[in-house]
Amino acid sequence: MSRRDDLFAYLLLEHPRSLRGVQEARDVDPERFDRVADRFLGWAEAARGADYLSACADAMVRFSNDVILAQARYEATGAYEHSSFDHCNDEVYGKREVMDDYLWGVFLTNFCWAHHMEISAFYEDRFLARLPASPAMVEIAPGHGGWGVWAMHTRADASLQGFDISPSSIAIASSVAQAAGVSDRVTYTQRNALDLSAMPEGIADAVICSFLIEHLEQPDDLMAVIGRLLKPGGWAFVTGALTAAQVDHIYEFRRESELVLMAEKHGLRVCETLSVSPKRILPKAKFLPRSMALLCQRTTHGFW
Amino acid sequence: MADTLNRLTEVFHDVFDDDDIVLTRQTTASDIEAWDSLMHVTLMLQVEAAFGVRFSSSDVTGLKDVGQLVDLIDAKAGR
Repeated sequence: MSRRDDLFAYLLLEHPRSLRGVQEARDVDPERFDRVADRFLGWAEAARGADYLSACADAMVRFSNDVILAQARYEATGAYEHSSFDHCNDEVYGKREVMDDYLWGVFLTNFCWAHHMEISAFYEDRFLARLPASPAMVEIAPGHGGWGVWAMHTRADASLQGFDISPSSIAIASSVAQAAGVSDRVTYTQRNALDLSAMPEGIADAVICSFLIEHLEQPDDLMAVIGRLLKPGGWAFVTGALTAAQVDHIYEFRRESELVLMAEKHGLRVCETLSVSPKRILPKAKFLPRSMALLCQRTTHGFW
Repeated sequence: MADTLNRLTEVFHDVFDDDDIVLTRQTTASDIEAWDSLMHVTLMLQVEAAFGVRFSSSDVTGLKDVGQLVDLIDAKAGR
């Protein structure tokens, strides 16, 4: 049996309520799902060891249920539960036992959530396919490391610097890079994303910044960092969540244009976008939870 | 406990819009086709409202069958 078959068998046995969603993710693009799932699960096995399947699947189910519960409470109150980055940093990012589980859970959602399977396809087909020769890449808040490691695995001529505020992220992303055999081209450093504004301008051919912007009180500052780090003509893959609650989502984006305008403000031309939502949402929902991906290019001639 | 199961059955009927659902302590998600992760959270929020309790995210994730849910409700409600 393949690792993805093992995952389905485990979910059927231990988490039958979660099986439907993962099957929907496979239905988006079975060939891609099988390829991405086997690759990510293989890295997880190499990074975590024999218990990888139960540990990661359990974490994914916990994370997914947390998200649905947060969304349900958001529906009731009309506001995200928290609004302080410091609170989330103290309660989530800085706590190893919380963060380890959280990150391995998110790692699996890249292919186990149907709408994130669509984001993964966008990443692979639209962003990775555009990378120039020997790209110097920066990943802001790599978290589990999966996005950047995927790029390194795809492009043997690429290199990556990753920066994350969480020590757990540094440890897990490093272990995933090691598992994928790309650690010689990757460095991870513990650093707040917004402190990267002090780095030299135009050092990156490409920037990855996935699902960080909604975790910040001042998301505009992050977009400024992305614009600053990119060389003219360089590419950015940026994702964000809109009206989608999570325990550590603090900035509520409501419209896709908010992200587009923010990118344009900081010297990025938004070349392509993808806005996707879960196949099923809460009954009588007032909010449609969305994940949005932007493919941006650093302008070279003023506004283009 | 029997009262809890009876009241819980009413909540299930309401959430799943199916008055034919018969609950026992052994009932699991496999017995009710629409009982997926999304409906599970919807169900748990309705249970919170019906019984005046509040669940943590680990409560929501950890339940294996209706018997465990009944026991959790009774424990939270101090029965």
